[in-house]
Amino acid sequence: MYSFTKEQKVFDISGISIGGQPGMYPTVLFGGLFFKGEPDFEDAKRHLQILYERSKQTGVPVIPDFFIRRIEYIEPILSFIEKTIPKKHPFSIDIIEPSLKIQMLEQLAERKLLPRTIYNSIHIGITKEEHEALRTYTPEAALIVAFNPKDSSPDGKIEVLENGAHLLETGLLETTHQIGIEKLLIDTAALAPGENSGAAIAALPVIKEEYGLPAGCAIHNVVEKSRWLNDFPFAKKTVDVGSNAAIPLFGGDFAIFGPIENAELVIPLIAWQDILVSEYTENYFGITPVPSHPRRKLLK
Amino acid sequence: MKQTIRTSVIGSYPISINTQELMRDYFAEQQSSWAPYIEAAIHDMTSAGVSYVSDGQTRDPFIQLFTRKMKGCRIRERTEIIGPIQYQSPITVQDQIYAKRLLPRQVGLIGVLTGPYTLTKSSIDSFYHDEKEIAFDFAQALRKEAELLTKHVDFISIDEPVFSNELPEYAPELIQIITKGISCSTRLHVCGDVSDIIPQLVDMPVDILSHEFKASPHLFEAFLEYPCKKNICLGAVRSDDVVVESVVDIIAHIKKALAIFDGNVVQIAPDCGQRFLPRQIAFQKLKNLAAAGEILNGG
Repeated sequence: MYSFTKEQKVFDISGISIGGQPGMYPTVLFGGLFFKGEPDFEDAKRHLQILYERSKQTGVPVIPDFFIRRIEYIEPILSFIEKTIPKKHPFSIDIIEPSLKIQMLEQLAERKLLPRTIYNSIHIGITKEEHEALRTYTPEAALIVAFNPKDSSPDGKIEVLENGAHLLETGLLETTHQIGIEKLLIDTAALAPGENSGAAIAALPVIKEEYGLPAGCAIHNVVEKSRWLNDFPFAKKTVDVGSNAAIPLFGGDFAIFGPIENAELVIPLIAWQDILVSEYTENYFGITPVPSHPRRKLLK
Repeated sequence: MKQTIRTSVIGSYPISINTQELMRDYFAEQQSSWAPYIEAAIHDMTSAGVSYVSDGQTRDPFIQLFTRKMKGCRIRERTEIIGPIQYQSPITVQDQIYAKRLLPRQVGLIGVLTGPYTLTKSSIDSFYHDEKEIAFDFAQALRKEAELLTKHVDFISIDEPVFSNELPEYAPELIQIITKGISCSTRLHVCGDVSDIIPQLVDMPVDILSHEFKASPHLFEAFLEYPCKKNICLGAVRSDDVVVESVVDIIAHIKKALAIFDGNVVQIAPDCGQRFLPRQIAFQKLKNLAAAGEILNGG
């Protein structure tokens, strides 16, 4: 278990604290919705209810992560967010195509949702137009994907944050600074099995020690791509859920999990892992958990 | 008529990397492919009529291209040496194999290595505290890469731009580690003003010397003072100027070289890698270079 010599930043994102020394704040869980097919809002509503209930029970903070694949989904998904997500609660929007991202930013601004938005994500694919749109319509926080196609190691991830690995004129940290986003969450970019997938976990303490910024990743994606696990369907689900525990164990601050159906399993697992980390870090490093921490909430 | 002067490149070629495509691969959890960039570089060089092409060195600047894959090196703003330098695995070999598959039969391939002294002087040392030792370990690592490259390339070119600023007394030994007993021809490219180190250069253990004669035409006079039996790769178009030299201008430049080096001018090339030129300019320069070579060869 880790404690870092670098001062650790803690960001308050619309009421949720993220970052700090391991054991101080609970791990934040991003639960992914709408990754496949047409958005099913009734289903999503049901899952969100469970997500928030389990969060309340355990003290593990949750942030829904909405994946938007098509332009025609922007309007209904944002309307759903306005109606369903508790007022002032943060959410993240996950879009791949830059043109879609720009349109989404405009609509978030129109609906006055930007102060609750975590932008998922800024990475080496950022375009000039996206950069400009982000300067005009600046979200509260952003996930920075530290993916370096030249080097999957923790060093490669630092390189892309620092100088863009000669793929961008400036590093992703400077790019985000120029935009004016100060609340940065570093996604250590989990890669498929066989492509140094473990580096996303190994990079968590490295990034935190180097920058003091909150770090995490979507490690469960590696499980989804582990085809050999298809021969063990019962185990696959367990491994998928269990993979998230590696993040707090290695000092990380957030896990992006999916699908959201797994919330029932992932949230208690993370609460358990956070308690484990907190017990040790308080005893050895003197890190006192905040009152909302699962250890305070669940261990009476 | 049989061609006697071959057109060549030095190494890098300006190809834009599509970072959005790389991110799409990432989100689809597919391995990033560099094939389109190698293909684009090869396409331009062969379309221009160049006789010996490179893979374009599109993956990285020429220092990181090698240090990224060597044990003991860590990439930050610059390369940092944090442990013993060792060869881990092939560095450019896979790209060369791919490039070779794309080439018409009459076009040759250059295996380009960044030289050990240039790698040394471009890195920050936190381990050795002995520059010579670093340079020799880089040379040993590059030797292993060179041995693998010989199976796939027509000749090996060692790029040592730092020599023009600072030539260590052990430079010939360093180069010899890479070239001794290697089964293909070797070329040493030193750009910049080499007029002060010509006596040392002409004795280097390589087959071809390559210099930027276009940006530094006074090198012609400087070489006149020393007998040079080495073959020459003549820098004949600038790599630091967007003005495209005409075919007539290039021919005049080559004739000047022929008057000094006679039949030893075996290659004509840009003065240096073309990474910093706009792609269209780089292409046009290569095209004019090839056209000039063809005319001089009686084609």
